[in-house]
Amino acid sequence: MKYFAFLLQRLKAAVHYTVGCLCEEVASDREMPFSKQTIAAISELTFRQCETFAKDLEMFARHAKRSTINTEDVKLLARRSNSLLKYITEKNEELTQFNTEQKTKKKKKLEDDNTKSVAVAAAAGKDDS
Amino acid sequence: MAEHYNRDSEPTTRTLLRRVLDTADTRTPRRRRSARIGAQKALLETPSSRRLSTPTKMNVRRGSHRARSIGRLAHVHTSGNLEEQTPRTLLKNIILTAPESSIMTPKSVVKPVPTPQVVRSSRQESSRGSLELQLPELEPPTTLALGLLAPGRKKQRLRLSVFQHEMDQELPLSQEPRGNASASSLTSSLSLTFATPLQPQSVQRPGLARRPPTRRAVDVGAFLQDLRETSLALASPGDSLRTPVATLPTDTVLEDTQPFSQPLVGHSPNPGKPAQLLAGKAKKIDVLAVSLPNNSSAISGEDRVEPLQNGVGEEAEERMEESLSVSEVMGSTGTQGSVRTEKSKGHGEMTEALEAKEPEGSSEDEDISGRTASPELASSTTEFLQARQPQFLEPAPPPTTTVLSSEPLEPLPTRHPPRARTHGSRPRQDPHKTGLSHYVKLFSFYAKMPMEKKALEMVEKCLDKYFQHLCDDLEVFSAHAGRKTVRPEDLELLMRRQGLVNDQVSLHVLVERHLPLEYRQLLIPCAFSGNSVFPAQ
Repeated sequence: MKYFAFLLQRLKAAVHYTVGCLCEEVASDREMPFSKQTIAAISELTFRQCETFAKDLEMFARHAKRSTINTEDVKLLARRSNSLLKYITEKNEELTQFNTEQKTKKKKKLEDDNTKSVAVAAAAGKDDS
Repeated sequence: MAEHYNRDSEPTTRTLLRRVLDTADTRTPRRRRSARIGAQKALLETPSSRRLSTPTKMNVRRGSHRARSIGRLAHVHTSGNLEEQTPRTLLKNIILTAPESSIMTPKSVVKPVPTPQVVRSSRQESSRGSLELQLPELEPPTTLALGLLAPGRKKQRLRLSVFQHEMDQELPLSQEPRGNASASSLTSSLSLTFATPLQPQSVQRPGLARRPPTRRAVDVGAFLQDLRETSLALASPGDSLRTPVATLPTDTVLEDTQPFSQPLVGHSPNPGKPAQLLAGKAKKIDVLAVSLPNNSSAISGEDRVEPLQNGVGEEAEERMEESLSVSEVMGSTGTQGSVRTEKSKGHGEMTEALEAKEPEGSSEDEDISGRTASPELASSTTEFLQARQPQFLEPAPPPTTTVLSSEPLEPLPTRHPPRARTHGSRPRQDPHKTGLSHYVKLFSFYAKMPMEKKALEMVEKCLDKYFQHLCDDLEVFSAHAGRKTVRPEDLELLMRRQGLVNDQVSLHVLVERHLPLEYRQLLIPCAFSGNSVFPAQ
């Protein structure tokens, strides 16, 4: 239990750090500094929202009678804000594309390996004979 | 004891009570402890004796009894049973604490004195009937009243209309008619027992007060004529129920769906109706509120669909005439005013939510219509007149529906088709906003402050968007689960997202908390007899 609380604390600290970095970036862009309370509020907000997201995602997956959270669940979660939904769908498509590419590459590699091995074997056979 | 009889020429309830206390002297609280049965009897005595004591408020002579009561009090105190509430102490308290002044004036004391005896005797008799034990203590007072028991029994049945009549006319002040001794006694006794002002209802709630219908000698010939004319008028409300009067030509088209839509047959069954009505009226002339609505509603039930083909102009004139004549028959502007208030109420109700308010409106209308001689006719004619005026186009259908639907319960099943059709006309106006107006009204109510119209409009817009969001979410949820229909699981998911349902509070808990039993049975599976679970999972 204590360890769990400690982990939580560490997690919160990590989120806080990341939010701080992002805010610094935005501040340098807009040339408007962020106060520390703002950064703390934003990090707390993101942390709680992540909790809510997790629960909702689990609910959505269970609603669809699945045990794993899917991209569909994530899209359902993000449907409220159009831009976010668009962004997510684009990313999703990219990822799927990448995956398929990866698969084709792997297949090619496998095939190449097979042919190479066959060729090597054949060559070896030839050499032998 | 002899003093009693000397003081009071007629035995009043107070004196009788006194007698009870005097005669029951031997049964002191001390002795009761020894005899359990005696205690039970004494306890049983209290309800009957209380009934006896209530009419004592009218008695003016207290001085004679006060000294005695003080003496009695001392006696009781010396007995030392203050914790134990004995009937004796109760009686004493009642006599002491009962208000001295009665609502009746002193002059009327002499006259009502014999009358409460009648009441008392009847009550005693009833009380004796209620108590199965023959209590020896009550014997002495009841023996006196036995002679009066027979007349009391007969006169106990009092006609409610007569009673109301006398209540309104403040009868206790003027109890001259001895013939109405029973009525007056009952009225006086009842007014005494309640110890309320004489016209409680009419003062506080004029709308609900049941004033007796003003009765006039019914001219049968004129009445039949009115009936024939009004039966035509009743025919038309059957149409106006469904559509506003402005769309006259479409009435026939819409009525084609009606089972009885035979335009030419309309007038043939009419001659039969006046006979019906006459018979009904002849039976119960004194209780008009019951008879006419039944018959008139029977008429309208049959002639539900009477198209306005028969010369609307003529009928309008006819109705104008007979509305006036009907109003004459009813005989008071008060009824007209009541009908108008009913119409205005109907109008007010129209602007509010439909079904929720209709039962209230119908109950109110019922009270008002119960008053008038021919409420149905009056309302139908007057509302037809209203319908003529374009401003009252909308309220025209609903008051008739409310009036028609409210009056009798038996023809109610026949009423449902016309009722359903009035709601069919509503979506023409504004399908999206009509439902929201109800919520906006609720909002303005709970705000407890006056609200601007613009604010209410904004509220309506927000509600509109909110509900649209809700429905979109439901649609998406069902699609997420690969379904095309929205199911309760989707709703539960929605409520979870809203935060109404969480790990601590489940949906079933909310259902139990907020929904009535009928809906709860539909939602929460419950095992019934024979190992059947409903709703099936």
